[in-house]
Amino acid sequence: MKKILTTIGILIAMSAESMALKQEEIESGMRSKLETVLRILSKNGSTTVKGREIIATMDSLFDYTLMARLVLGQQVWGTITPTQKDEFTKVFVLKLKQSYVDKLELYNNQKVAYKGVAPYQKGRMQLKTELVGKGDVYKINYNFHDSDKNGDWLIYDVDLDGVSIIQSNRKQFAGQLKTKTFDQMLIELKAVNK
Amino acid sequence: MKIIRFIVLAMAIFWMHGCAKHTEKITPRKADKRVNINHSTIDISATANDSFEEEFAQEEMMATSDNFDPLEGYNRIMTKFNDKLYLNILDPLAKNYAYIVPEGVRVSLKRGFKNIQSPVSIANNLLQLKFKNAFDESHRFVVNTLFGLGGLFDPARSHLGLEPCEEDFGQTLGHYQVGDGIQIVLPFLGPSNLRDFVGEIVDGYVDPFNNLKVTNTNYKIANTTTETFLYQGGDIFNKASLHIGEYQMIKKDAIDLYPYLQDIYSQHRNQQIKE
Repeated sequence: MKKILTTIGILIAMSAESMALKQEEIESGMRSKLETVLRILSKNGSTTVKGREIIATMDSLFDYTLMARLVLGQQVWGTITPTQKDEFTKVFVLKLKQSYVDKLELYNNQKVAYKGVAPYQKGRMQLKTELVGKGDVYKINYNFHDSDKNGDWLIYDVDLDGVSIIQSNRKQFAGQLKTKTFDQMLIELKAVNK
Repeated sequence: MKIIRFIVLAMAIFWMHGCAKHTEKITPRKADKRVNINHSTIDISATANDSFEEEFAQEEMMATSDNFDPLEGYNRIMTKFNDKLYLNILDPLAKNYAYIVPEGVRVSLKRGFKNIQSPVSIANNLLQLKFKNAFDESHRFVVNTLFGLGGLFDPARSHLGLEPCEEDFGQTLGHYQVGDGIQIVLPFLGPSNLRDFVGEIVDGYVDPFNNLKVTNTNYKIANTTTETFLYQGGDIFNKASLHIGEYQMIKKDAIDLYPYLQDIYSQHRNQQIKE
């Protein structure tokens, strides 16, 4: 029984890993994922259910562990315990997903235009897209990095009209840690997520 | 004359602050490099982290100075005031307006306002020596005014593929490396900084909807200060009706509202300046 469970576990882990995109597939892979997202959004039903489906679609493309590390910054990440790192990662990822689901309510039949993939920062890549609505165009860029140095590319940041998710959260956490201990901040974050 | 004296003084202050900010933020990066050189062995993951740290440190350098905020007390109070004003008055009114007036009409009105304010963009494109953009903006202005019912429609974009190239004086100053200056939260308008505040005042000289009777220009649509506030207020109100719910979503992501709004404003403006 234990062996079967271990095998299933390994298979799940492998399948999750294989969901990362190859460099040449960044645009096509994202197109197919975002088309699925738009299909889900255009369906009738509650935002919570649609949000769950969308997160299941996009989940494997994000490098959540790296994102959690980046928002705290190397200095803080280096001083906290492995348990604190795990707890923070869980709480931050939950916050990120919740924030994403909340924003789905604003979707109003906009279309996605793909503006190509280009090298971005040291050895990383950026997919540029535009969300085109009736009155406005929102520029959304997805930043990818080679997660295992073996050609498996994952998203580590998204910026909307120049506002980076990592940058804005990084600033928030740094601000909080000026007046609070890490554990106090963690407790407050957990309370916000509830 | 008073206003000119104010602008000169303000520019001097934030030039000085911009320089101070630059020196202050370069120092830690130099220190980081020194630490790395002293370590004889650097593992791959640490190097990778460093390069990510560098990416965000660079962006942080461009963002608003977080060490110098002499108006923090006022800014926090004004953020609270704007928050209550938006949630209790502007948002409910905008929702009702959006319920009565079809979206297409509101989008057209927004285009109309923007079209009449084209001289601001044209002048700032010229000041930044972006001649093609200045030409495209002028082209858009003529086509949309003549064939788009005074700018209510956008045939320049839909038929000629001419995208808007909006620029303001805050962006022009940023283009010439002027720093953000101190952070200022403006009543009704929200987060800003000294550079963009000065930019707003300068753009007001050109904007046909802005007439505070400081110059003797006769092409202005607004004839009095009251009319200026009515036009500008109407534009803000109409725009708010096209972005219902967005502020609430942004607010939900904030742990501390004032610095969060100021930071996303600053990141957004830096992106506009880069473009």
